[in-house]
Amino acid sequence: MSVGKAGGSALAGAVLAAASLPGVAGSLVAAFGQPALRPVSLDRLVDLGASHVSIAAGGLAVMAILGVGLGVLATRAGALAWRGEIDRVAAFAQAVPPVVVVALALPVLGFGGPPTLLALVAYGIMPVLRGTIGAIEGVPTDAREAGRAIGLSDLQVLRQVELPLAAPGILDALRTGLVLAVATAAVGALAGAATLGTPIVAGLQNQNLVPLLQGACATAALAFLCDAAMLAVAGLLRRATRP
Amino acid sequence: MTTARAAAAAILALALAASLYGLPLLSVAANRLALGTPAFGAAAGGGHVHAVAGLGLAGLALFAAAPGRVGAALALPIFGAAVLLLAAGLGAGATALLDGRPTAARASVGSGGWCAVMVLLAAAGWSVRAFRMPGFGAIAIAGLAAGLTTLARSGTLDHLSLAVEFRARHAVLGEAIVQHLVLAGGALVLACLCAVTMSLWRRGQGLVEVVVSGIQVVPAVALFGALVGAFSAVLSAVPSLREAGLSALGPGPAILGIAAYLLLPLWRGLAAGLGGTPATLVDTAEAVGLGRRQVLLSVRLPLGAPVLVGALRVAAVQSLGLATLGALVGAGGLGRIVFDGMAQFAPDLILLGALPIVGLSLAADAGLGAAEAMARRRSHS
Repeated sequence: MSVGKAGGSALAGAVLAAASLPGVAGSLVAAFGQPALRPVSLDRLVDLGASHVSIAAGGLAVMAILGVGLGVLATRAGALAWRGEIDRVAAFAQAVPPVVVVALALPVLGFGGPPTLLALVAYGIMPVLRGTIGAIEGVPTDAREAGRAIGLSDLQVLRQVELPLAAPGILDALRTGLVLAVATAAVGALAGAATLGTPIVAGLQNQNLVPLLQGACATAALAFLCDAAMLAVAGLLRRATRP
Repeated sequence: MTTARAAAAAILALALAASLYGLPLLSVAANRLALGTPAFGAAAGGGHVHAVAGLGLAGLALFAAAPGRVGAALALPIFGAAVLLLAAGLGAGATALLDGRPTAARASVGSGGWCAVMVLLAAAGWSVRAFRMPGFGAIAIAGLAAGLTTLARSGTLDHLSLAVEFRARHAVLGEAIVQHLVLAGGALVLACLCAVTMSLWRRGQGLVEVVVSGIQVVPAVALFGALVGAFSAVLSAVPSLREAGLSALGPGPAILGIAAYLLLPLWRGLAAGLGGTPATLVDTAEAVGLGRRQVLLSVRLPLGAPVLVGALRVAAVQSLGLATLGALVGAGGLGRIVFDGMAQFAPDLILLGALPIVGLSLAADAGLGAAEAMARRRSHS
């Protein structure tokens, strides 16, 4: 199932990536009788894509460290009283759309990458945190108790029982986080970050369909490819842990 | 539980003190776009600042010391008073700091001011929850809103930059809120219709799942952009549509784009809500002679109502957030004000657009959350 899903995402990504090439997007637009003006060159598209990936990857790294770390802390016995508060903060964070986070961070952090990074961490951390908590809580109590019974310390139970068993769930949460990060990085174009959202915004402003289409296809392609990569990693992990 | 309460109260107290005395409460600039010079503590809010700190700490101490509902009931009005006092202090501080400066000069609330407000509101929200009475939160919010309105009416807040932006644009703001609600509501209705239609298509559920979850992967900016492209292609192929009032930029692509993202929560909610009825109940209902339609209306729908309302809640909050991006494709709404603020680099204009978005989302979440809880109580009784 997950192999099929990863393949589907990869295929969608490849098709959309092809559609974002200057020649293909230009002829697509021309086929509908619209003027095919000033496409974004392949070099520029690759540059924008690289910068998009680096912003999203930076965001994912912070999300992974903070989200998974806090998730592990929140599932320790002493933190039970805070669980409700975490859920409430998560609900609040989701009520603030990423555009608004980017916009609010703009006066504080200035134009470009930093407000975008802040926005994608602020928006993505809660799903990762919630997913991590859910995955660790989903570990059967029997497994935990068996670990304790053979004399493992709390830390060893965490490292050798809880985390390996919760890994698929945590990876799934990180996949959601990465897809959110790619989407939010595209919004960052509005704050002046150089991402694949940039040609979309420029195309909308200049009423030029070619860069608009190229940016839209390339952004969607990147999102699908990231999704496929995370699904593939999850599949490999599942195969590796299954005896 | 009580130690956790004490620890949380201590953290909030520290955060309140740090934001009141460590971060700039106000920022004064030569005009609305220039960078401001920060003003700290009593220099910004006068004696009010110490009073706010005292009230806040007293409320938190009371809340931590008196357990249960008593502490919550006593602390809540104290937090409310502290918020109002802080607003009044910042307003008075802005008036004092701008005194004798040119009219273009602006005093905006700084990071410390916002953080202090957030801490006090978090403390107030916490005591509302600890009081455990449905509707108590709504009363508290109404009280706070009434207090703030009275303050604003009295002119105390007039010199804060946000109030100046509001006066300059309140007509536009009202219009933008209406547009925003039309975009979000229109998309929600459209998505509901599509989700119902899709769940009726029994054999295609596999395909539906692939499509609706695939859409979630596509970034909203990209989908909106692509829809503008698709709309203009269709319009140039069928020019008569343009005469019918459709255009490539505007509410059309925005509503369609927003609705696309709402399909997943709604469709899943429908499947879980209507399909989750225990088979024995359905069998019993059929055995007493109810038809499929009656089973749906009098068994599946009432039992699935909490899940359905829950799905609607998720979709409504998403819809209000996504409607912000509608401004990108010329559909107006509150996003327009946010984007104008970004383009001008005017923080208070961004806030003027952003605060109603957050407020509407939280209101939708709370309102439909209450409806969900009501449906749950009813289906259990």
